[in-house]
Amino acid sequence: MSKLTTTGLTKAFSGLVAVNDVSFNMEEGEILGIIGPNGAGKTTFIHLVSGILMPTSGRIEFKGKDITYAPAHERSRLGIARTYQLIHPLENLKVVENVMIGSVFSRGKSLKEARKAAEAICAELELDRLQRDTAQLSILEIKKMEIARALANEPEVLFLDEVMAGLNSDETKQVIATVQRIARERRMAVGVVEHVMGVIRELTQRVIVLEAGELIAEGPYETVSKNPRVIEAYLGGAA
Amino acid sequence: MKLKTSYIAAAVIAAVAVASPAFLGAYPLNVARSVMTYMALAISWDMLLRSGQISFGIAGLFGLGSYASALAVLRGGMDPFLSIVFAAAFAGVMAFALGFAILRLRAMYFSITTLALMEIFRIVMHNLDDFSGGPEGVVLPEVIFGGNSSALYWLCLGGLLITIGASWFFEKSKMHLALTAIRNDETSARSSGVDIFKYLLIAFVVTSTMQGMMGAIQVQSYGFTTPETAFDGNFTLLPLAMALLGGVHSTIGPMAGAVLLGIASEWLKLQIPYGHLIVYGVIIILVILFMPQGLVGMARRMIRAGREAGAGK
Repeated sequence: MSKLTTTGLTKAFSGLVAVNDVSFNMEEGEILGIIGPNGAGKTTFIHLVSGILMPTSGRIEFKGKDITYAPAHERSRLGIARTYQLIHPLENLKVVENVMIGSVFSRGKSLKEARKAAEAICAELELDRLQRDTAQLSILEIKKMEIARALANEPEVLFLDEVMAGLNSDETKQVIATVQRIARERRMAVGVVEHVMGVIRELTQRVIVLEAGELIAEGPYETVSKNPRVIEAYLGGAA
Repeated sequence: MKLKTSYIAAAVIAAVAVASPAFLGAYPLNVARSVMTYMALAISWDMLLRSGQISFGIAGLFGLGSYASALAVLRGGMDPFLSIVFAAAFAGVMAFALGFAILRLRAMYFSITTLALMEIFRIVMHNLDDFSGGPEGVVLPEVIFGGNSSALYWLCLGGLLITIGASWFFEKSKMHLALTAIRNDETSARSSGVDIFKYLLIAFVVTSTMQGMMGAIQVQSYGFTTPETAFDGNFTLLPLAMALLGGVHSTIGPMAGAVLLGIASEWLKLQIPYGHLIVYGVIIILVILFMPQGLVGMARRMIRAGREAGAGK
């Protein structure tokens, strides 16, 4: 079943078209790669579907419901969650509170229930000592906390915007394994933005490629990576 | 264990506060009322600050409450005690209406707008001669409770306790998560389902209600007010200084700051009648420079450091 669909989605910043006429859909249980060179519009695209930015034109549907101009907190309640490329820890809250917040406000749980849910999610991600301040966390732990916070929303659609950046290869493997397991268990649709192609190859069933705001290719990684337009986008016209 | 001692301490302080009129004279009770009024204002200011919004409009809502209460009694013939409830509600309703306009603003734009609102309220009361008494202000036919100093003290204490209760609720409920998240990172807050405007509006309405209530209690206790006393800038400046000195983002910080600065101010007023505000300015600057976490923050750090040193042995 189609979870998230965009039709002709466009975002222009006074002349600069960051996302141009992108139509795509995400299916239940699917892990989708979103790739493209720097400045291709990947993060803007996620801002649009998560409601952080409003589109200039086009349409976004979540399970058939029009959410094109719904505010971010409503989309979070409907079941769209995301992490950020630039980390956004809530530094005056404990780790457990950082994670709880989604359960409380997106799912309407009591503080007690939310704490329990947060502890369970963190255990799954092997994140411990939850009474710490966020300032005491390593980069891996912060990334895990941000994934945990997104999962606390109990999303049906999850976007991970470069969560692997800054992690070493062992840590990356650990996070990949966890994301795969959770996505499978919960039948979640997951969109992964990543520059490390090894991660994309291993994690995703399907890839979309953005370049200068346009969707230029779509398909399994193996096919897409041989597409001449994609190679040109990554390496420039000379290659 | 730690929780238990703090509850016992709170109960003892509350009992002493309630029983004070039995052993304090009229002058100390009067000072206590002034300290409690500023304390309530400091706490209410801090409650909104927890969302990151810095209000300079405390005196505006305080004065609005004063006038709403006085005019309800004078023009509407309302019972004085009831007029305090009315004035608190009036300040809350005004905050609700104004909130739709000003809670879209952030940082200094919000601060400056709240400061401007205070001036507007003052000028309106200054110029509505027929209704508000204009520059001469209003004089009530009588002081509430016949001016009994114990009763006035308890009334003020009641207002303070309501404010402390509201602040405690803000600390222990999901308001804490919502306001702290908004202060730290609005983008994260939105992505976690926090309706930012809704929680800012709740905080603004609740704190304005408290400020209006304290203004009403003040006017009913003194029996008169003027635009210059009701909207006195001190009602903005002193609570701010108290909260900063004691330590912001908590209930206990503004309380500690209010006790220290409140008592110091009574003494300073006698020593330097026209210059005591300079001392406040100096205190604010020193605290921001050397103790950004305030007294309570510093105490917490020292306790933690002590514990860690103890654990290291």
